[in-house]
Amino acid sequence: MTVRILLVDDHPVVRQGLKTLLEGRSEWEIVGEASDGIEALEKVTSLQPDVVVLDVTMPRMNGIEACRLIQEKTPGREVLFVTQHDSPQMLREALAAGARGYVVKSNLARDLVEAVEAVSQHRPFTALARPRQS
Amino acid sequence: MKLRILLADDHEIVRRGLCALLQKREGWEVCGEASDGREAIEMAKQLKPDVVILDIGMPNLNGLDTTRQLLQYDPQFKIIVLTITDSDQVIREALDAGARGFVLKSDAARDLVSAVEALQSKRMFFTPRVNDLVLRGFLDKGHAISRNEPPSLPILTTREREVTQLLAEGKSSKEVASLLNLSTKTVETHRSNIMRKLGLHSIRDLVVYAIKNNIIQIQMPAQPATTQTTVV
Repeated sequence: MTVRILLVDDHPVVRQGLKTLLEGRSEWEIVGEASDGIEALEKVTSLQPDVVVLDVTMPRMNGIEACRLIQEKTPGREVLFVTQHDSPQMLREALAAGARGYVVKSNLARDLVEAVEAVSQHRPFTALARPRQS
Repeated sequence: MKLRILLADDHEIVRRGLCALLQKREGWEVCGEASDGREAIEMAKQLKPDVVILDIGMPNLNGLDTTRQLLQYDPQFKIIVLTITDSDQVIREALDAGARGFVLKSDAARDLVSAVEALQSKRMFFTPRVNDLVLRGFLDKGHAISRNEPPSLPILTTREREVTQLLAEGKSSKEVASLLNLSTKTVETHRSNIMRKLGLHSIRDLVVYAIKNNIIQIQMPAQPATTQTTVV
């Protein structure tokens, strides 16, 4: 079955990079793109994707807020955060907002495909870049 | 003959996106990818690309200092800098360093191909958001545009700027020494010279100086996050 994916990041270049990483899988379809949280909510409502790949830091509405609202208004979607914030605190916030996955941008080439695969099957996938001292 | 492009950005996902953009053009080839300024310099010397695209906010050696060092080595290099900010100060520094192209990362999908084309035909390219006056002022008067500001950067030598960035990134003198192939003692001499020249007293002061002068860049977390962390 096709997994329908929405890509959300304020940098078109990053969205382009995400596409090149995901396009190898024939059963995955990128159904749309958004550049901030508000646009993401609109596209989630109209396109009903299975997986939302979401950046954290974006203008107008950030990803954490968008994730909360996506889960509240259109439950049934899995959210995978893709972020530069290599921080346990941000990871906790993402999970509290209802995300199923969290990967750090510096490790995307290694982690993204595996993470999308996991969350599309409703399995959690979280990976920080390096272990932190608490 | 192919147009050969060297790409330097510390984020692989950004490099992927840029490669995809550039390689859509027939006859263009990304001949190398570097993840920081030091690597970019080594690769540029070796590969002699037609165009070099450098992110400004890279670890170990930022894009502006990479530009300066590359042009010192060979003034023929054609360099485009990619930036997340179009502040006047960064634009002036990029011009001053000798970059011929200035593209905002957020506009790269639209502007980067045009920038490479411009450089290829010996023109300059600045993102349309750059204030014309800033640009004209700089080009007409040379460096005069910044005459009202203290010349904070030229005080330091190239080596001292490298050391400043590495120390501000949190590296120890020993780590800096190993990265630059110097003795720890030499690094410590550079460090005390830097502090003396800039009138600073602590590494904390040095970090502030490095941020203010675009030697390092900071990334802020999302606004409503309950825990405020700053990633340098």
